[in-house]
Amino acid sequence: MPQRRGHLVLVLPLLVLTLFLVGCPKRPATTAASAPPPTAPGPAATAPAPATAPSGSAAAAAGATRPAPAAPAPAAAATTRPAPAAPATPPRPVEFAETANLKDIHFEFDKYDIRPGDAKILDANAAWLKQAASNLVLIEGHCDERGTNEYNLALGERRAKATMNYLVSQGIQASRITIISYGEERPSCAEKNEGCWSKNRRAHFLVKAR
Amino acid sequence: MREARALLAVAAAVLAVAAGGLLASPPPARSQAPDVLLNVMASGAKRLNIFIPDFTVVAGADPGALARRVPEVAGADLKFSALFSVVSDPAPLPVGDAEALRQRWSGAAAAGAHAALHGLLSLGATRATAEMRLYDLTSPELRLIATKKLDMPVADGRRLAHKIADEVVFQFTGEPGIADTRIAYVAGPPGAKELYLVDYDGAGPLPLTANRSVNLSPAWSPDSRSVAFTSYLGGYPFLYRLFAFERRPVQLLAGHLGINSSPAWSPDGRSVALTLSKDGNPEIYVLTVATGAFRRLTTHSGIDTEPSWSPTGREIAFTSDRAGPAQIFVMDAEGANVRRLTRGGFNTQPRWSPRGDTIVYTSRQGNHDLWAVSPDGSHARRLTAGPGDNESASWAPNGRHLAFHSSRLRGSRIFTMLADGSEQQPMPTQGGEATSPAWSPRLP
Repeated sequence: MPQRRGHLVLVLPLLVLTLFLVGCPKRPATTAASAPPPTAPGPAATAPAPATAPSGSAAAAAGATRPAPAAPAPAAAATTRPAPAAPATPPRPVEFAETANLKDIHFEFDKYDIRPGDAKILDANAAWLKQAASNLVLIEGHCDERGTNEYNLALGERRAKATMNYLVSQGIQASRITIISYGEERPSCAEKNEGCWSKNRRAHFLVKAR
Repeated sequence: MREARALLAVAAAVLAVAAGGLLASPPPARSQAPDVLLNVMASGAKRLNIFIPDFTVVAGADPGALARRVPEVAGADLKFSALFSVVSDPAPLPVGDAEALRQRWSGAAAAGAHAALHGLLSLGATRATAEMRLYDLTSPELRLIATKKLDMPVADGRRLAHKIADEVVFQFTGEPGIADTRIAYVAGPPGAKELYLVDYDGAGPLPLTANRSVNLSPAWSPDSRSVAFTSYLGGYPFLYRLFAFERRPVQLLAGHLGINSSPAWSPDGRSVALTLSKDGNPEIYVLTVATGAFRRLTTHSGIDTEPSWSPTGREIAFTSDRAGPAQIFVMDAEGANVRRLTRGGFNTQPRWSPRGDTIVYTSRQGNHDLWAVSPDGSHARRLTAGPGDNESASWAPNGRHLAFHSSRLRGSRIFTMLADGSEQQPMPTQGGEATSPAWSPRLP
């Protein structure tokens, strides 16, 4: 089954990596525990949720104390990092920076195709990326606030992907590009009118030195 | 009206069973609470009128005024159920004097009450015990029809009241009420949304997350222990679960490249249907939680998202733009036999009723409103009619109530209503604009 294989592809490099990193046989358990397969529902430590036991639950009755603080941020981040799939683990979004060299493109309501005018903007973006070959690029897909959060996450993903595909067709290596959908969650303009909505339906670019 | 009819259906079913017995034997000396409900509804009343005097403290001190607060909260629960109207009375009840007690019940009956609820409270330093008593005031002998003892931490008077109300609903309808449930929801400004938890009636809101990223789409596991949700806490939109009532860390469920979104637990609690874009575009998968294995259900170049299980676990409703603007489709749990359910407009967020007979969805025709349709695509009907946007329905576990978010007031807030769209009312929340309610299963 292809899905099954896909799952293994995610896990195997991690296991290999783990074997390399472990080295010291004294702490295999610790290492394994701190690096579970990203997609496995193991005890992946991230941030503890503030417990909200209903009085009457065992936790509350026992006057449970706060758990040990979560693992320090970098360690926690490592466990939530996306799977180290084929090319490389994508850098975290916060590692990318704004740039004036790459211009946003915009989309029609509920659409994810690239309009001719926006294709010209992407051509210019591609030209800049070609001469700035040391830069990785993050493409954010965004939606306006209309529609459901879940549908807009999918729509933003399609916009980012369509934008990526266009850049690749213009000769930018796919391995330089990471995409992320923010759905309707990060509007650039806050008012509830078409003027704002049309600004929010966008693909936005950030860069990071390789 | 519709509600009264639904209630009559419950009562009629009870009557049918009772009638079977009548053929074989003389009428039983003691009828059960459902008969009371049946008779009241047959007389034309829309709600059963229940008399709830203050409870009586039989042991211990009552500094928290539980004798007043518990019946007050239980009464509000019974009103919310839309099955009862409530008459309260703060005058102390003469529990030790049978004849005086009988006179109080007679007085209430004469004033139109069909039933009475009373409780005897034993209050210790840490625990509160309530012995609840339910009376049929339509019977000449004003008979006692049910008693039950319930126990809670003394600090948890509201929950004690909710349990009592759920027991009253159970006595009269054969199905427990939904007062002892919570609602998880999303609140906060754009870019900083956190999950919160609140009693179903808006009391006691608490934060569930505090990771300062964006947290979305809470979905309760059927055992009511955990909430699956999408979060950007690690940078990318991954799927996690948190344990709402335990001191346990958040657990990563799906961390693939792309989106990991829109979780829906299978009715048996073993799987989560979700949307992943790891294979190119948003498709629906099923994650087996125990093994971490993903099974792909859809293969289409368009958007497939927002899965919702039928209560049997045999079918999944979902949203797809495969036929143009988004519509609701249904497939079986293996991904085969896809059929289209809705036509026209832009329809998203299918939510299958726990009773199985209705799918509620969000339809955009100008603004967004909630609609309902039968699983065979027939009988589409509108549940909300503005103002503002009305979206993101979540069923109460009894399939009689819905929570949703609406922008009809200033900003988005959580509302509740009955399944036919009646009784729409705002629910108090905290944390700013509130969206995406997720009604919990009944709590253990």
